Amino acid sequence: MDVLAYLLKGFSVALQPINLMWVTLGGILGTIVGMLPGLGPATGVAVLLPMTFTMGPEAALITMCGVYYGAMFGGSRSSILINTPGDGAALAATFDGYPMAQQGRAESALAMSAIASFIGGILSTIVMVFVAQPVAKFALKFGPAEYFMLMVFALSATASMTKGNLTKGFISMLIGLMISTVGIDAQSGISRFTFGILELQTGIDFLVVIIAVYALGEVFKSFKMIKEGKKKMQTKFGKIWITKEEWKRSKWPILRSAPLGFFIGALPGAGGTMASLMAYNNEKQLSKHPEEFGKGAIEGLAAPESANNAASVGALIPMLTLGVPGSGTTAVMMGALLMLGLQPGPMLFQQHPKLAWGLIASMFVGNMILAIVNIPLAGLLVRVLAIPPKILYPIVLGLAFVGTYAISNSVIDFYLLVIFGVMGYFMSKAKIPTAPLILAIIVGNSMEQSFRQAITISDGDYSIFFGSKVSIVLLILTIVSVVYPFVKERIKGKKNIVSAN
Amino acid sequence: MSLKKKILSGLLAVSLIGTTILTGCSTKDANSGNTAKASENDNYPKKAMEFIAPGGAGGGWDLTIRTVSKVLQDTKLSPVPTPVTNRPGGGGSVNLAYMQEKKGSDNIISVYSSPLLLTNLNGTTELSYKDTTPLARLIADYAVFVVRSDSKYKTINDVIDALKKDPKSVKIGGASSVGSMDHIQFLMIAKAAGITNLKDIDYISFQEGVNSQLLGGHIDVLSTGLSEVTGLIESGDMRALAQTADHRVGTGVLAEIPTCKEQGIDGTFVNWRGLFGPPEMPEYAVKFWAETIDKMVQTPEWKKACERNGWDNAYQKADEFTVFLEEVNKGYEEILSEIGMLKK
Repeated sequence: MDVLAYLLKGFSVALQPINLMWVTLGGILGTIVGMLPGLGPATGVAVLLPMTFTMGPEAALITMCGVYYGAMFGGSRSSILINTPGDGAALAATFDGYPMAQQGRAESALAMSAIASFIGGILSTIVMVFVAQPVAKFALKFGPAEYFMLMVFALSATASMTKGNLTKGFISMLIGLMISTVGIDAQSGISRFTFGILELQTGIDFLVVIIAVYALGEVFKSFKMIKEGKKKMQTKFGKIWITKEEWKRSKWPILRSAPLGFFIGALPGAGGTMASLMAYNNEKQLSKHPEEFGKGAIEGLAAPESANNAASVGALIPMLTLGVPGSGTTAVMMGALLMLGLQPGPMLFQQHPKLAWGLIASMFVGNMILAIVNIPLAGLLVRVLAIPPKILYPIVLGLAFVGTYAISNSVIDFYLLVIFGVMGYFMSKAKIPTAPLILAIIVGNSMEQSFRQAITISDGDYSIFFGSKVSIVLLILTIVSVVYPFVKERIKGKKNIVSAN
Repeated sequence: MSLKKKILSGLLAVSLIGTTILTGCSTKDANSGNTAKASENDNYPKKAMEFIAPGGAGGGWDLTIRTVSKVLQDTKLSPVPTPVTNRPGGGGSVNLAYMQEKKGSDNIISVYSSPLLLTNLNGTTELSYKDTTPLARLIADYAVFVVRSDSKYKTINDVIDALKKDPKSVKIGGASSVGSMDHIQFLMIAKAAGITNLKDIDYISFQEGVNSQLLGGHIDVLSTGLSEVTGLIESGDMRALAQTADHRVGTGVLAEIPTCKEQGIDGTFVNWRGLFGPPEMPEYAVKFWAETIDKMVQTPEWKKACERNGWDNAYQKADEFTVFLEEVNKGYEEILSEIGMLKK
């Protein structure tokens, strides 16, 4: 087949020793950048930007992709070990990854995260080789109305996933939505809730809230235990690998989440966070033992990890096929391509096949190298848990502040960090889940904008939200996601009654 | 590091005092041929400059200032390092506020473009271009209005006619927010074409993925920059109706796009980019950088970079640039007041 011939040519580019070296270097650098709170793939790629001027275009793109995947691998390391996601996409890894680490299963968690990321990345790359064009075409069907429905679905699914606690889930979501309204409103150009503070005009960065709620919240929460020296630390470490049982439980979640993540990633602006949270919800709904989720269920870690890596591959599709960046990171990469004199878009594959296919081949190579690098690296990283909490947590605090400053070099963010840290503490005291909050902050603004864009396009006619097949399907999914937990409960209840009789 | 800085700035201070004593107040005849006399110019710049992109990494401002920095280093025109920092926020106004803190400083240079004027006029910030020291206009790129290749609009006048009949019938999309560049550039052309009810035209802002919104047929016309859609015009997915330069710019397919003027609309829109110092930047620093930039724009390295990025050379010296800014500001002001977004 034509595609395979091109792909082989691509491998001949990607496997050149120099490019192999770049992708490895990029991957390691990305893993480190990804682990640090506040520094995500976008920053990593941006930092690299000046360096890539001197490389050839192929080497430059391959290195940047290495950083990108590396950051995706690395982001969840800190989620698992210290409950601090390095980036939005690594958020879902805290749900079950951190409990696993606390139960002394950090080795399995780290290994599973690398394995799931690897499989998710490879699977979606294979999918990409064959369906990049049709997926890109399908993604075009997503207008403002469809985006709005998609975000409503993601939010309602996340908020209702807190079983039996629908109210608390929605409270968390609403706080998030309120926070997301801060800043200049693009549809009217008016500043909202900025109180004359210039830095607030671009809105509150979700990364600040993530670092605050998770890193600071964790420190506040365990403050007493740390002070009294009661917080456990791990001194003995096993091999970084998973058991057969763990693999059996995670196999299907990983395979299911990869295509989901891939597709969500391919939608411009949706991204890894949404993909991983949706994968997590999915698995929780499908699981035979949903009560274990959030308490160290390995599939609750495997699914989002697979999805977010798949999403990072999917995000390249709009850039490569349409010249439209699918995420913040790909936007930076596109800028770099333009600087190298390349025009990403429909003509890229025809005009520069060596580059385009070399890039795709490097995704296979890069994911493989990252998996190989990450397992021994995890053996080193897991020793973090052997650091006495009295030393570790001050370091976490320090990193939280440094990471926050790195987001936009703004001192205002420090105040926000502390405010939201305190908020996170009280939320956990009141047992209010924090995932809906974070997702609401991430999608809240685009959700509102999409709604108003749709209304302007339709001249005020609300039927635009049910005007296409895509939005009707999304509407049905939304209803199912809210109602399903109740129905499931009912059926279970009835069964119990029957069996009791 | 901080000690080193202290020593350096100490040295600089001493040398500055020294030169002031030597030259006395006779700065006016510093150029009168007495080369033995050490003027401020000889000692400046001594320490690294701070080049600022008021937006995030990878954006237009970032690209411009990084290119300037690189050319200055490659050609060795700058005797000191010129590292770039990003100070994003508020459409550039966060950095504008920072520049006020650095009033009178001789070591920061920032890049700005049309939003510098717009953010002030629409009330985002009270600071304006008057709170900076314009150094030079460097480059320009132009707006382009594109439609999907199967659109019923064949020329810009088709769009104008439709808008005149029913202002709600054409949905215009762009990446910047309402009252900012992509919106204003369309309105300026619409106004020149004789549309009076500018306020009724629907403009929809898409922060992300605006190109796919046009390709998916969710909006009718996209108001954007030439370089943003080059690939999609080349591939035939999008059709360009008009560009806003006063002459056809670019090469290949871009050169085939007719200007608004050619189509009988007497309007242009230039998205200029220039360099600015902080308010009250000392005269010796202004002079040094004016001369350096003057040399830089003539280097083959700079010309090559412009060509690569699709930038039109629009070099203007500081005094011309200041006059230009005044004129452009007036034009924007009119449009914004017509759509009721002018804050005064």
